[in-house]
Amino acid sequence: MIDVILQAFASIVLDPVTLGLMFVGTLAGILAGAIPGFTIAMGVILTLPFTFGMTAVQGLATMLGVFVGGFSGGLMSCMLTGIPGTPSSVATTFDGFPLVRSGRPGLALGLGLWSSFFGGMISAVILVALAPQLAFLGLEFGPWDYFSLIIFALTITVSLSGGNITKGLIAGLLGLFAATVGEDEINGVARFTFGFDDFKQGFAFLPVLIGLFAFSQLLTDVEDDKRAKSPLMSQSGTVVKVEHRQAILIILKRWVNLFRSSFIGIFTGILPAAGGSISNILAYDQAKKASANRSNFGKGAYDGIIAPEAANNATAGGALIMMMALGIPGDIVTAVMLGALMIHNIIPGPTFIQDEPLLAYGVFIAFFVAHFFMVGLQAFSLRIFLLVTKIPMYVLASVILAYCAIGVFALHNIVFDIWVMFFFGVIGYFMKKLGFPLAPMILGVVLGKLAELNLARATGISDDILLFISRPWSLFFLLMAVISVIFPFYQEAKKETLFAKLYVPISMIVLSLPLFLMGNPVRMIVAVILVLTGAYFLYKRTSSLKTT
Amino acid sequence: MSINKDTIVAIFLLLFCGIMINSSFDIEDPGYQGMKASFWPTIVLCLLSVMSLVMLIKSMVSTTDNNLNSENANSQNIFLKFKNASICFLMFILFLAFLDYLGMLIGGVLFVFGLLTLLGGFEIKKIINHSIISIITIGIMWSIFTFGLKVILPEGEILKIW
Repeated sequence: MIDVILQAFASIVLDPVTLGLMFVGTLAGILAGAIPGFTIAMGVILTLPFTFGMTAVQGLATMLGVFVGGFSGGLMSCMLTGIPGTPSSVATTFDGFPLVRSGRPGLALGLGLWSSFFGGMISAVILVALAPQLAFLGLEFGPWDYFSLIIFALTITVSLSGGNITKGLIAGLLGLFAATVGEDEINGVARFTFGFDDFKQGFAFLPVLIGLFAFSQLLTDVEDDKRAKSPLMSQSGTVVKVEHRQAILIILKRWVNLFRSSFIGIFTGILPAAGGSISNILAYDQAKKASANRSNFGKGAYDGIIAPEAANNATAGGALIMMMALGIPGDIVTAVMLGALMIHNIIPGPTFIQDEPLLAYGVFIAFFVAHFFMVGLQAFSLRIFLLVTKIPMYVLASVILAYCAIGVFALHNIVFDIWVMFFFGVIGYFMKKLGFPLAPMILGVVLGKLAELNLARATGISDDILLFISRPWSLFFLLMAVISVIFPFYQEAKKETLFAKLYVPISMIVLSLPLFLMGNPVRMIVAVILVLTGAYFLYKRTSSLKTT
Repeated sequence: MSINKDTIVAIFLLLFCGIMINSSFDIEDPGYQGMKASFWPTIVLCLLSVMSLVMLIKSMVSTTDNNLNSENANSQNIFLKFKNASICFLMFILFLAFLDYLGMLIGGVLFVFGLLTLLGGFEIKKIINHSIISIITIGIMWSIFTFGLKVILPEGEILKIW
């Protein structure tokens, strides 16, 4: 094991090419995260075409650089201009910007930067410790369980992506359908090709992804004529000297907040679709509730900067846990990484860490290293950021649209892929306009073939459909899927209604059933805890109903 | 009961599902044991039809959504709203249509220059800037992919003759 770790370490840290790529990737990520209108996911997606010519380790290390850099990039724009660069740094604005305006920009940036670093480091440790264990658990899964897990991943994406649940489900189903076009992997039969030979290959993942996400986003960015022609930011900010030492001391004194926020970030990252945009708000909210000086929040409270920044970087580690251990992407970024692995003919799953230990540990080490690059590059990237903000959006959008076309062509060297990107770009643009979330569709495209393959394997082994509900893990994921579909209704329901009061306790009791069926002592204990907690909440809430 | 954007989208989705379900009957069955090739797409399409129907009913029952009549009143604004997006669509279609003749280098430069000028304006200073930006950015990208990543990008008829 140590041999493998040392080899993986050497493949990242001792390879100047990989380090150079990570350097560029982190810098690009910081800039992508800092520019409003650009997202981390877009940065990672646009990096993908460059990784075709790299080894799998180099490609993933570069994308991890973008991913980690992106989370910290958001803090620059939100602190210096009051405009969050990414949704994952929205909560940082609440206290970061007031602290900057009170004359401490160096400290504000230092707090954000080092909180991101420590949050990322904590999540990296958890990633290394938890991913192999979770993968070990994944070895118990049969095709029935996998199929149900994919269904759960899709439904929770729908419920957490916000907006209308019907539209979210439709988007997810459209994604699943798009994945069926072309020759099916089981029988090799052409489907929905309508006589076009190009359709036989199906829609490649990358053109669909770039089209749906990047292309449609660029069209939205240039939609408003006035905004498209003005510089990216009207207030550009100035170069400041980061107060590193003082920031580190302040954060370490507030270690409880740091750890709590990091764990919130990790947990949110593990949940499919719940990314940094949710974790930073959750962590901020918890930090405020736990603080003795709540009135300081919103006025430049140190805890109000530490919490969201630690949480959003920790989310990256959480999202990687699911991808590395089970081959299920936690968000769009990990979906892209999954796609990158597939391009290199590597299929992540429970056996991934065992089968590809060099690559798996390379990812772990790259995740650590990227955080050091992030800290080192912040001051340098701040200067570039101030230059980039002077460029109008229409210039960036036009150039990136052309780059998308070149990048997509590089995948298979066929023009058809560019048409696919364009087609899905148009679809993505109008779907966004009509209020359909894109994340479920993207996950549908990524997971569609995997879902079909597992369904085929399951039905091939046995005709008994009841196995989907009689196998404990499959039942667990299906119940989770049902609970996640109901979740948006719970969010909308008024707190005093019977449904809102019963949703959580009943969900806990229901989820204990498959855990009991597993027969494992630890899981039985978890099941008992779930039942007792659920029963306690049920008793408390029903008794409060009687009194009212 | 009202008709709004969602109603039209739901009807479109139902039509789409109908066409695709009909097309799924043409999927060949090679007679192998196990799941048929048409099974999974049919399930997905049936679920999609159900959800589209739910959307249709919800949209017709809903009273809060934007009514089409009020949208029609602002139809002159729709052109302005989608002007830039339409320019991007059009330029991209032209770029793809002429890619075989112009190649990625010339086609890319013309695409970026055209798009920049159509979106940014036709002042002489801007046109000069746009031409410099398009030549430099596409030149760099083309060089990275051609020489750095060894990708053979479409050469086009013009460069071939040269």
